[in-house]
Amino acid sequence: MTEEKVKVVVVDDHPVWRDGVKADLERSGLVEVVGEASDGGEAVEKTLELMPDIVLMDLQMPNLSGAEATRLIVDEAPHVKVLVLSASAEEADVLEAVKSGASGYLLKSSTSTEVRDAIARAMTGDAVFTPSLAGLVLGEFRRIARDDPGEPGLTPRENEVLKLVAKGYSYKEIGEKLFISTKTVQNHVQNILTKLQLKRRYELMRYAIQKGFDRLPE
Amino acid sequence: MGAVMDSSAAERYRRTLARGALVFRWVTLAWMSVLALTETGTLERPVLAWLAIGTSAAWTLWLSLSDSPPSSAVLGFDLLVCTSLVLLSGLVVSDGVTITNRPFFAAAYPVNAVLLWAIVKGPTAGIAAGAVVGLAFAFSRPLNGIAFAELTRPEWQNIGGATVLYLVGGGAVGLVARVLVESGVALEKTTNELLTERERAGRLAERESLAREIHDSVLQALALVHKRGRELATSQSISSDEVASLADIAGKQEGELRSLILRQPHDAASGRLSLRDALEKQAREVEGVKVTVSSVGPVVLDAQATTEMAAAVRQALENVVRHADATQASVFAEYEAGVVTVAVRDDGRGFDYDEAELEAGGKVGMLKSMKGRIVELGGVMEVDSAQGRGTEIEFRVPIDERDGA
Repeated sequence: MTEEKVKVVVVDDHPVWRDGVKADLERSGLVEVVGEASDGGEAVEKTLELMPDIVLMDLQMPNLSGAEATRLIVDEAPHVKVLVLSASAEEADVLEAVKSGASGYLLKSSTSTEVRDAIARAMTGDAVFTPSLAGLVLGEFRRIARDDPGEPGLTPRENEVLKLVAKGYSYKEIGEKLFISTKTVQNHVQNILTKLQLKRRYELMRYAIQKGFDRLPE
Repeated sequence: MGAVMDSSAAERYRRTLARGALVFRWVTLAWMSVLALTETGTLERPVLAWLAIGTSAAWTLWLSLSDSPPSSAVLGFDLLVCTSLVLLSGLVVSDGVTITNRPFFAAAYPVNAVLLWAIVKGPTAGIAAGAVVGLAFAFSRPLNGIAFAELTRPEWQNIGGATVLYLVGGGAVGLVARVLVESGVALEKTTNELLTERERAGRLAERESLAREIHDSVLQALALVHKRGRELATSQSISSDEVASLADIAGKQEGELRSLILRQPHDAASGRLSLRDALEKQAREVEGVKVTVSSVGPVVLDAQATTEMAAAVRQALENVVRHADATQASVFAEYEAGVVTVAVRDDGRGFDYDEAELEAGGKVGMLKSMKGRIVELGGVMEVDSAQGRGTEIEFRVPIDERDGA
């Protein structure tokens, strides 16, 4: 059976790191690295030109940051999945990446198996949600609920699912615990992420209108 | 770099002084106009006099509006205007008036050139400008129809006295201006140096404490990885256990370094600690299972509650390593609605939890001690486990609303 290889663009400002990731990914035989980029701007260009399945995105890069590049890519090419692979575990960075539309967040210390698994999961349309990311997202929704009590937050079921992800349960285990299907758990997780991303868009828009940037030059 | 900065600072001070001297210039201009109005009887050429006053007024106005620092051309023109005024005085008033006791037409305005020279160029230039104005003062006599030969000794003394005043004025103002400018520059420099020094000391202290922590943990581990890595490279057979332990050491230090430099400080008040930080520390120290920590915020509690809960979590993790046969464990922590919840979960073989049965078998040591810590804090412990499904131990401790964060 000849399976189509997953096309990946690797974005990182360190060439040595890019080479390592490329070698790791291609060794599996399931992935083809079709392009590389060394900053956010180049990442957007390459992605729109090559239309890969997955972009492996670093966050801290010169010129355009990984989070901004992610936002642009998700806007222009929504079918391309962006997986963030960063050395930073700083909350603000992680949240910004997820709010920008990243399908997942991995630390650079992840093993190549973990990265390949994450790619496979992202290919099935699944968000790559680690327990610690779930904790962060939960904290972000708590913050929103506290600062903006009028804003719609998580439903009780979504809250429950997110908490179980944060506790380290797999989607399958969560489904068994809550007597729902794994697919339903996935849908809940996807909805949670979408809410967060919409919230971010709304924030940006509100900020722009407040500052009078709503009428941008053509 | 320093010299450039100093000279520009000095320039700034000189301009301030020069602007201050403008007040005196306007006063003297007004005085000149008053004299021209009240002494119209003695004015031989009133048109020339008012032309001179008009020119002086225009020049004063230009100087007041000009933003640029007085250049050499400006200084030269100012001296020309002022000496011309002194010389013109001899022409515009009736012959012989200059040697009477009547107020002199040009009055005090010419002093302005001496002041400006002294302020901008220093005492020597001030004295030179004073000499020029004094000389013009002397020449105003012959222009007024009184030859030098006709001047009496008191009249010469009068000229000499005025010249001496111009010279002394130029020198004194020049000296004062120089001292003011120099001390201003020195003060500014000292202040800047002090600020830089304070900043540097702060950075140094921060760097030292960081270096100390890095040295205590990260450097030691790096040295070990370096040494063991080299040994492994030359050894004939490499055991995967050894490589894995090297990776473990590097991984733990990565976590350590991350928490040291990447995490934003959350400024816990004294006597209070972040439960997340404490749990992350425990997770790093446990060996034999991969532990991830997921916390909803830093969860800042009083130090005792934090320490006790972290100790209970540590015991739970040790239990996992010893009995669960797990590959992964995760620790979850949150504070919500007055309750701190901490959960430790593993993907190990699990067991059928029955406290009475365990007690009968004498296997409750660790569990009892864990539970003891939590009950002491007023909380409860719950165990959820079954054969083949892993184990979750959850602690719930009520914490006063105002204490939780």
